[in-house]
Amino acid sequence: MPKLIFRLFLTFIVFVGIFILIQKLLTPESFGEYGHYRANSLDDNKMRTSFYKGDAKCTECHQDVYDLRETDVHSGVRCESCHSPKIDATTDCKVMPPIVKGTNKFCAECHATNPARLKKGVPQLDFKEHYVKQNCIECHNPHAPWELKEK
Amino acid sequence: MGTERKVNNRRKFFQTSAALVGGTLLYALIKPFEALAQPKEEEIKTDQANLALWGMGVDLEKCIGCGKCAEACKIENKVPKEPFYFRTWVEQYTVKNDGTVKIESPNGGIGGLKQSVPDEEIFKSFMVPKLCNHCTKAPCVQACPVGATYISPDGVVLVDETYCIGCSYCIQACPYGARFMNPITKVADKCTFCYHRISEGLQPACVEVCPTDARIFGDLRDKESDLVKFLQVNPTQVLKPHLNTHSRVFYNALSSEVK
Repeated sequence: MPKLIFRLFLTFIVFVGIFILIQKLLTPESFGEYGHYRANSLDDNKMRTSFYKGDAKCTECHQDVYDLRETDVHSGVRCESCHSPKIDATTDCKVMPPIVKGTNKFCAECHATNPARLKKGVPQLDFKEHYVKQNCIECHNPHAPWELKEK
Repeated sequence: MGTERKVNNRRKFFQTSAALVGGTLLYALIKPFEALAQPKEEEIKTDQANLALWGMGVDLEKCIGCGKCAEACKIENKVPKEPFYFRTWVEQYTVKNDGTVKIESPNGGIGGLKQSVPDEEIFKSFMVPKLCNHCTKAPCVQACPVGATYISPDGVVLVDETYCIGCSYCIQACPYGARFMNPITKVADKCTFCYHRISEGLQPACVEVCPTDARIFGDLRDKESDLVKFLQVNPTQVLKPHLNTHSRVFYNALSSEVK
């Protein structure tokens, strides 16, 4: 082999070697295990803390409220639909209790009249007509809405 | 002389032909480059048949637009309350009597949607919850230059937050507008079907809180799942089917006005 060709060949090999080395250094760990991405990222996405605990967790303390809710029309609604958590699921919710003020505005989120809500089985009312000066919870028990309270 | 040349030519022709045919046959028999080739799609499918394939059904006949899902999503995934970025949100579509369509979604529907069009002008009105459609052929995944967004083996489009360079190509590529740049982490952010919850066997937060069960979440491969039953019972449709994204969020009772 002529010397020139040999040198050229050697340089080529060295360049390819450097390229492979750089590529190895820059590619993160577990990249390409399942596809063109970091497989460890799946675990990163799994590791996040959740906030919503589910009814099972609530009934550990509030079985009575749960039983009451199951007797009335709000039985399909989960605890956390209204009582949205204020603290992550690993912490005891007594640290920041998810108290809801039963204001008219809060109930109106679901029960205010809207043409798109017609025929969906959710009772709607005009909050400007129905006992304007009172809070909903003064008459209705939010856990059993049709057990009207005596005034 | 002429004869000899002819014979030589003929011999060469037969030799070359034999070598070609033999080589092709040999290649077909031993397949030396098989190991280098990418696995075929069918093989991947059988490999992952034991994994779940997550999808969601949205029943527009049940959605009342209370915005609990959008609120729950923000709490669960620590999405900043303001500016108005959403992983999931609810839109109210109003078709007026003159045929024009008004789409509104103040604060993503959080706090309950209110109709702004007077009753006598309304032809029809309906709610449409939106979220990432978790496409099988996701344009955002194709657009990402570094491989920071990908489809997980169980069919969820996810973002690698430590690897994303924040170029926002994926945000432009998404035909559903389901992605945004998170102002805190400075990387692309989107619905993950609450991947941390579903891998623990829980439901996504939006499904968990929906008071009317308008959202149905489940495994498309499990024939007993609620989602498969929902798809069997209802005639469903995906958003923008003409884009060939093969998304896995299925809408029941979808009107043609929905974009």
